[in-house]
Amino acid sequence: MRILVAEDDSNLRRQLIQALNEAGYVADPAPDGLEAAFMGETEPYDAIVLDLGLPGRDGLSVLRDWRAAGRTMPVLILTARGTWQEKVEGMDAGADDYLAKPFRMEELLARLRALIRRAGGQASPALTCGPVSLDTRTGRVTVAGHSVTLTAHEQRVLTYMMHHQGRILSRTELTEHIYAQDFDRDSNTIEVFIGRLRRKLGAPVIHTERGQGYRMEAV
Amino acid sequence: MQRGSLGLRLLVLAAVWVTLALAIAGWLLTDIFRSHAEAELARHAELHLDELTVALHPDTDGRVAVSRDLSDPRFQRPLSGLYWQVTDDQGVALRSRSLWDQQLRPNGGVPDDGGLHRRTATGPDGEALLVWSRLVRLPDKESPVEVSVAATTADLTAATRRFAEVLSLSLAILALGLLGAAVAQVRLGLVPLDRLRLALADLRAGSTSRLVGAFPSEVQPLADDLNQLLSDNAEMVERARTQAGNLAHALKTPLTIIANSAANLSDPSESALIQAEAERMRRQIDRHLTRARAAAMAKGAGLRTPVLATLRPLARTIARLHPDRDIEVTLIGDDALTFRGEAQDLAEMAGNLLDNAAKWCRGRVTLSVTADGAEHLRLRIEDDGPGIPATERGSVLTRGIRLDEAIPGSGLGLAIVDDLSRLYGGDLALDQADLGGLRADLILPRA
Repeated sequence: MRILVAEDDSNLRRQLIQALNEAGYVADPAPDGLEAAFMGETEPYDAIVLDLGLPGRDGLSVLRDWRAAGRTMPVLILTARGTWQEKVEGMDAGADDYLAKPFRMEELLARLRALIRRAGGQASPALTCGPVSLDTRTGRVTVAGHSVTLTAHEQRVLTYMMHHQGRILSRTELTEHIYAQDFDRDSNTIEVFIGRLRRKLGAPVIHTERGQGYRMEAV
Repeated sequence: MQRGSLGLRLLVLAAVWVTLALAIAGWLLTDIFRSHAEAELARHAELHLDELTVALHPDTDGRVAVSRDLSDPRFQRPLSGLYWQVTDDQGVALRSRSLWDQQLRPNGGVPDDGGLHRRTATGPDGEALLVWSRLVRLPDKESPVEVSVAATTADLTAATRRFAEVLSLSLAILALGLLGAAVAQVRLGLVPLDRLRLALADLRAGSTSRLVGAFPSEVQPLADDLNQLLSDNAEMVERARTQAGNLAHALKTPLTIIANSAANLSDPSESALIQAEAERMRRQIDRHLTRARAAAMAKGAGLRTPVLATLRPLARTIARLHPDRDIEVTLIGDDALTFRGEAQDLAEMAGNLLDNAAKWCRGRVTLSVTADGAEHLRLRIEDDGPGIPATERGSVLTRGIRLDEAIPGSGLGLAIVDDLSRLYGGDLALDQADLGGLRADLILPRA
């Protein structure tokens, strides 16, 4: 799951990215409105944390442009001014949720999890695919009730696939969603992760679609 | 009219001026009347003098004699008030019968030419006399003789007094009329000032935010200056408020960072302490931010916020903030109802109450807006959730207390609503809703 963090305060940005990484997400930083607008428009993010008081361009206009351009990723707004009028404005501009500063990191993560889950059409915080089950709150993966230990990359690939069950996911798409923007990507590594996941999960839930990619579905 | 009033000052000035002017006019008119009457008396005296002069002729023993009596019978009647006398170089030669055994002794010097001389004297009866004399040179007589005619001033004085009496009465009536006109003038002239006072009263009552109405050109600058002062003041307050807001908001990002850094500390007690302090700071900021805003609102002077139009987007947003649950927010009320205050504050109060209802409801939230008398509005927000037991309703209004920590929220919502509504002179009351959950009744000033 790849998240864009558009926040101008460098300390808070670092904290957000660290917390997101620890929660198993990949996070890209955007320190100002112009960069945030560009990245949100060109990169396939699974969710965006958007501060409204960005230098360069204000967050609301950036958000309106994304929605006007047909970008549908969930957006969580952060702002120091927590008035209801601002909440109304933010939601009307196309935000999916709203968090007023100061906030607790756990609350931000909980809201993001809920946004990503809803965007994938999942109703429950625990995702299942046959015997495989993933608790998005804890990141715990079980197969038929037994815990499975995964590396960070394997976890990201699995999480993304669990959120998009039944859809063919190309290697490029998977790469885009598990690596940060500045990472030296190699789509061949996806094959390695898929191989390891299949072995660790044991259950036949990951299918290869020749020449197209992978699909996760319980048989 | 009280002491120091502008009206009294104008009236006193008018009274002094009218009295002074009329007194001077009365004195002048009386004087003119008297001069005129005296001139008439002098003319008659001169005619008598001429008649007397014609009748004079030298006597055989070197003195003078009159050839006939003067035509005016008063000269014959003793002490009649009209006298004549002829004096030659040896003393009084002849005198009218009316003088009886007295002589005319005019004050002042003896005439030394042919002109008419006017002098005063005391008559035989003790009355005041005016004496006109002339030197006449008779044929066959070496030294001139002094011919005098005297008349009493009693008639003149009486006529003058009568004239003065009538004049005084007329002038007094005129003075009263003028003072009455002055009162009317002052009253009418000061009407715009009364209007200004009423406009100021409206301003204080909060029904307007500036002085409205057209004033005369002398008062308009005052009204304009007042309005300028008001808008300068409002601007200053707004600036101070914005700065307080900016300061508070600028503190929130560092506060987030501090709290989150503390969460990662290895020492859990230290971490808890810092987080608790950060939380306290946040509450202080929120509280003072609310107060700064409320203190600046000046009882919502002249503001009219349509209630339902402000709340509709809010209800839509509340439903969208809880996308996992199918919440139906129903708004009921009259679109014409307006709140005397800022839209932002109304949104803040209703938003917190609606959000609270949405958090706890099973699916239904209703908000109704009704008039509560001519001066107030009633916003009733109800949900079908579990509600709050009667014993605990009071404590949720206390800042920072949350009855259930499981549902995220600052625990400040209801307390902020309570604070804001009080600052607007309103009230927040909690009760059991008909739907089963909590009922919040918010009373606010109506515009």
